[in-house]
Amino acid sequence: MRAQDLSGISFDSIIAEVNYDINLLYVVPCVYTRNMILNHLRDRISMVESVTKAIIQPGQLQPQPLPLQPGVTPIAEPPALQQPTTPGNQTTFTLQELSKYDGKGGNPAYVTVNGTVYDVTSNATWAAATHFGLTAGKDLSNEFVSCHAGESILSKLKVVGKLV
Amino acid sequence: MSNRSITCPEYKARLNTAANLLDTMKTQIRQGVLKKRNLVWLELTGCSGNIISLLDGSNPDFKYLISQMTNFIYNNSLSASEGEVAMEQLFSVLGSDYILAVEGAVTTKNNGLYNIIGRLNGKLVTAIEAVKTLGEKAAFVIAIGACATHGGVSAARPNPAECVSVQSVLNRKVIKLPGCPCHPDWFMGTLAHILLYGEPDLDRRDRPLLFYSTLIHDRCPRRSYFDKGIFAEKLGDKTCMFKLGCRGPVTRIDCPIRQWNQYVNWPIEDDTPCIGCAQFGFPDAMEPFISYNTTREVRR
Amino acid sequence: MTKKIIINPVTRISGFMEIQANIENNQVVDAKTEGLMFRGFEKMLEGRSPFDAVYFTQRICGICSTAHSMASTLALEDAMGVVPTDQGRYLRDILHGCEFLQNHIRHFYQYTIPDFVKLPEDYPLFKAEHNDFRLPKEKNDRLVKDYFDSLDLSRSSHEMLAVLGGKVPHNHGVFIGGITTQATTDKIIKIKSILHYIYQFINNRMLPDVYTIAEYYRDYFSIGGSYGNLLSFGCFNGYKDLGTLYVNPLVYTDGKTSVFDLDNITEEIDYAWYKDKQNVGKPFKTDPEADMSKPQAYSWVKAPRYNNLPFETGPLARQWLTGEYRNGISTMDRTIARVLEARKIALIMNTLLENLIPGVSVQKEYTIPETAVGKGLIDTTRGALGHWLKINNQVILCYQIITPSAWNLSTRSSNGMKGTAEQALIETPVKDINNPIELGRTVRSFDPCISCATHIYTGGKNVNTIQVIP
Repeated sequence: MRAQDLSGISFDSIIAEVNYDINLLYVVPCVYTRNMILNHLRDRISMVESVTKAIIQPGQLQPQPLPLQPGVTPIAEPPALQQPTTPGNQTTFTLQELSKYDGKGGNPAYVTVNGTVYDVTSNATWAAATHFGLTAGKDLSNEFVSCHAGESILSKLKVVGKLV
Repeated sequence: MSNRSITCPEYKARLNTAANLLDTMKTQIRQGVLKKRNLVWLELTGCSGNIISLLDGSNPDFKYLISQMTNFIYNNSLSASEGEVAMEQLFSVLGSDYILAVEGAVTTKNNGLYNIIGRLNGKLVTAIEAVKTLGEKAAFVIAIGACATHGGVSAARPNPAECVSVQSVLNRKVIKLPGCPCHPDWFMGTLAHILLYGEPDLDRRDRPLLFYSTLIHDRCPRRSYFDKGIFAEKLGDKTCMFKLGCRGPVTRIDCPIRQWNQYVNWPIEDDTPCIGCAQFGFPDAMEPFISYNTTREVRR
Repeated sequence: MTKKIIINPVTRISGFMEIQANIENNQVVDAKTEGLMFRGFEKMLEGRSPFDAVYFTQRICGICSTAHSMASTLALEDAMGVVPTDQGRYLRDILHGCEFLQNHIRHFYQYTIPDFVKLPEDYPLFKAEHNDFRLPKEKNDRLVKDYFDSLDLSRSSHEMLAVLGGKVPHNHGVFIGGITTQATTDKIIKIKSILHYIYQFINNRMLPDVYTIAEYYRDYFSIGGSYGNLLSFGCFNGYKDLGTLYVNPLVYTDGKTSVFDLDNITEEIDYAWYKDKQNVGKPFKTDPEADMSKPQAYSWVKAPRYNNLPFETGPLARQWLTGEYRNGISTMDRTIARVLEARKIALIMNTLLENLIPGVSVQKEYTIPETAVGKGLIDTTRGALGHWLKINNQVILCYQIITPSAWNLSTRSSNGMKGTAEQALIETPVKDINNPIELGRTVRSFDPCISCATHIYTGGKNVNTIQVIP
């Protein structure tokens, strides 16, 4: 079923990207950019490949989560087992519950900023669940304001719930 | 097919590599356009690893630097003279046109007595005195390596010697070349630009865009593994080391395309995570360097 | 009448130091060597991840960073109970060997040669303050040429290191279990090829060069002798299949060689800028604080002792302990031993390379123990280096380092007995009191690394502002 979803949503956008890349290849003047585009193209093709495989052998191969657009990092599966109780459709966390999502021992890495809980497990700037000396599983509202005030980076993060 | 010209910043940047600058410069020297300038290389509180890294440079190498590009006046590791004579030589540049290169942080503890670099007229010269005196009068000041640009390892928590960056004690522009150590090309390229065209284009934090414009992550040969979510479990693996703590995604520097030591290798090619040594905040903000216990599912 | 001379800075060493000497009848009667930089690495390491020590401690020294990655890795392996395979050890020791070559070539040509060879004065960097250059022009010219040519070879030594170590200074290769990456055939042959040219250079140029200097400066065979106590922690030794290729942990004193015993090491701080409950302690049993107000203290370098005696460590100690070179103990012997050792290391590296199995991976996924204690003792370019660490709650509780230059450039013992280099300066004839070049030549023969020796001790919280030198 999930493979179905992926193919439904992403095939169109992948095909669009591939077409865009091919058009671009006709006009770019420099070899270096051309190589970059070819690289991107190869990457898209390998994605199509992995999705196709997943459809054919759904039991044997987990489909890779696909980025919606180039440049956006893949998003981790939300942890089904460890999720706190869900009142209505909104997951809530206490600070104590949040502290378990510290990005250690295979746990995902969550942080909260201004009451919203974000998943940073696969965020590139959070390697090994650490970010400029900060660790996951915490309320980082103050730290966020002191470094990223006025930046729209939060909207790119996956929201997983609210802090209560 | 369209004849529209599309500007490609990467392509432009590559044309401007250190090697090209040097070629231009060689020609200009021959034509007498370029005049050699005085260079002083001060070592302060640090490991003296940046001067060693400079000796590891090639094309231009150290020989070319001291014979064709500059009058290399003084360096603690290399000067033939010693004692007062060496100090006199160092301070003889005052009043002339010179470029000051500084490696190491500035210790402020106990009035700077935690780092004494010599004696002049019998009086102790602290590192902080030297950098202030020479820094104010220099045509350009280049801070080389993590300690000089932001305190680096010398200022690591709890900063026992109360070290600060070169910029903190100078009220003037300081060109910053972070890295631990600084790659010889980053220094040579910056110097060449100064000798030829003056100050290079700098970012908001005074790093030359020539070298510090692009994230390691954006040019990493292992990027496709990251995008596909294939992660290394231990050092020595050939896939993405994001889950081991790689700082490539927050470090702006050209290691992936430049590489080190005659361009033979670099940390990620050596199957280890980038530790962000060319990023401000190294080392405290870049730690832990290596983690096995992370979001990666542990095999049981 | 006693005259006092001061040399500061002592250039062409790593770090900052001052020599103070009293001269009577053109002879040194008293001398002090003073380390003049403090960083406080041991305090910095507290609370950090033990794995990070391997990369962090390398930043102690830019010219011998690999040495610190070796010692910290050994300490971690000891704490974690990891025993590296012989292949892992070969790989790691090859990296260490590259550093020996880099260091010895640079130390001989860039740091030592300007003392004895007149370099072209149209370079401001090479202006010398004295005129004691004795080589005939033709030989002088040859050594000047080799000064410049050697730059390519020391650079190549680092290139070899980077082939397996990622980059250098501050390599990424040395780690628990051996090295991080795998030595594939292309890498092995690249290193072999570079090593071939370095070996030829050492054999055909560097050795003749050092003997040329020795021939014209014969007096330096009787200057710089010191106590003749020699110490090595061992290196390139104890392989399962290859045995010992270089030197085992040994000490030499009173004309006798014996096996090194760790229990005999103590550190004294009577004359260094630190305070503690007592002035002598064993590694790890003390936690001294920086204190620049101590009246009799004059340096950041403590005084490590073996059986309460100052010891010399480094290439001459190793060459002597293995019996490969026993001409004497002096300034010139130290310099010759360093060059001979460079050749020896090149040969050892070749043996190790020939015993490598290509493509072997020696890495595992490691877990940090809750609590552990470890020590890493190894002989490095400048001599015996020791790292000690304690782990608590999976982070570093405390870390201690005793460097080779702390042995060689140590301050006095509590009973006033001089450090090794200080003793080496005694009775040195000084021809021109305004240009006492003899002292610098002797001190440099120890290859001092003051960046290593002085900046690793615990920093204090309350230090009074004082005048350092009366």
